[in-house]
Amino acid sequence: MQLKLIQSGGIVWTIVYAAFVVWIYATEPRTLREMATNTQVVAGTYQVDQEKFKNALEMFHREQFRAARDEWGRADPGAQDPRTQFYIAYTFYREGWGRLYDDDVLFKQGLETVNRAISLAPNQTLTVDDPDLQLHTAAELKAELEQGAERSWGDLNPVEVFRKRK
Amino acid sequence: MTDYISRNRALVRFIVLPTIFLSVALLGGVRVSAEARGLIFLAPPLITLLLAALLVALFVRAGALNLRAWITSDQPTLTNISHILTLLSVFFASAQAFNSVLPERGLFHWLFSFFFLWTLWNNQFASFDARRLVRSLAVLFGTAFVLKHLLLAGLYAPEGGWLKRLAGALLEGVSLGTIDVPAFAPATGYISFFALALYVAGLALLTPTPHALRDVDTQQLLEGYAKLSPQDRFTVREALTERQIELVKPEQDQGA
Repeated sequence: MQLKLIQSGGIVWTIVYAAFVVWIYATEPRTLREMATNTQVVAGTYQVDQEKFKNALEMFHREQFRAARDEWGRADPGAQDPRTQFYIAYTFYREGWGRLYDDDVLFKQGLETVNRAISLAPNQTLTVDDPDLQLHTAAELKAELEQGAERSWGDLNPVEVFRKRK
Repeated sequence: MTDYISRNRALVRFIVLPTIFLSVALLGGVRVSAEARGLIFLAPPLITLLLAALLVALFVRAGALNLRAWITSDQPTLTNISHILTLLSVFFASAQAFNSVLPERGLFHWLFSFFFLWTLWNNQFASFDARRLVRSLAVLFGTAFVLKHLLLAGLYAPEGGWLKRLAGALLEGVSLGTIDVPAFAPATGYISFFALALYVAGLALLTPTPHALRDVDTQQLLEGYAKLSPQDRFTVREALTERQIELVKPEQDQGA
């Protein structure tokens, strides 16, 4: 009886440990903290740090985009919250936007982040009700970032100088 | 007394061994980056799987693993499943042990792979017993560890290791070339050392057959035999064969 118990326990333990090893190699965490975050995501207990999120939002409203991005990164270290990822993408848009030309590097980073936000959102649609923003959906933000990252003859249109940041 | 022995053996066979080998599988691919000090997990390259397959074949040939005793229809399904899991963990631990001592890329990666392949292929045709094989593997992995984590790491350290300075002084004017050797933090060497020590310890605990076939006296006799020189072993075998012939002869005479 005892032998059977050890045997069954050994099988369960081996499978669980092997799955853990495979999972570690699949997720490739860079730090122990990241490993803990990934574990929370798998366990379904992952939550965004609301205090840091609010701090970041205040920085965003004060147009401190880089600082806001860093703070949101700390609030959502696993990059698992679609709303936070949407805001991070928005910081790339606002920081990269220029009257004469847009910063391609920042826009591309914004595009990657908004794509992540869309993939994380339920049904891949995301709407953020924030009166400070002019683009309320991830789809709108994505279109704006794509448009800014593209090169076209329309970029040479002098009227473009009068366009407004959203 | 017997209860304790069988329980401890079961614990080693069903829990300790898989844990040791899976820990090796986990640690064998871990590196610590020199710049950011972040963890890097390297999955075993294809060549390490080939080397592990050769090594497991060597275990079987040397008698360190008797597959027919580990997996057999005479055992309950649960026992067979458990043994299959243990053997799989041995395979992946072997692959990761190689991964741990192989340089990650470049010329040295292929040189080390070639030498491992050569050694393991040669050993397939050499006569080994289980103990000698474990000793030989400890030396093989130990040598590769020293070459990779001490010599190569010292030679190609970004801040200039002791060996780089020594080589610079000895080979003044001679270039060390532009061989691509990735630099990792010293913690990588410690992790690799721990993984290899764990791997060799696991091999030492691994018995050719999973069951306790022997009683204490037989075990002591066999251990004493293993310590003998090849000449003494030959003498013992000869004596045993003669004794067996003497035992068989009267039966044959009676039969006739």
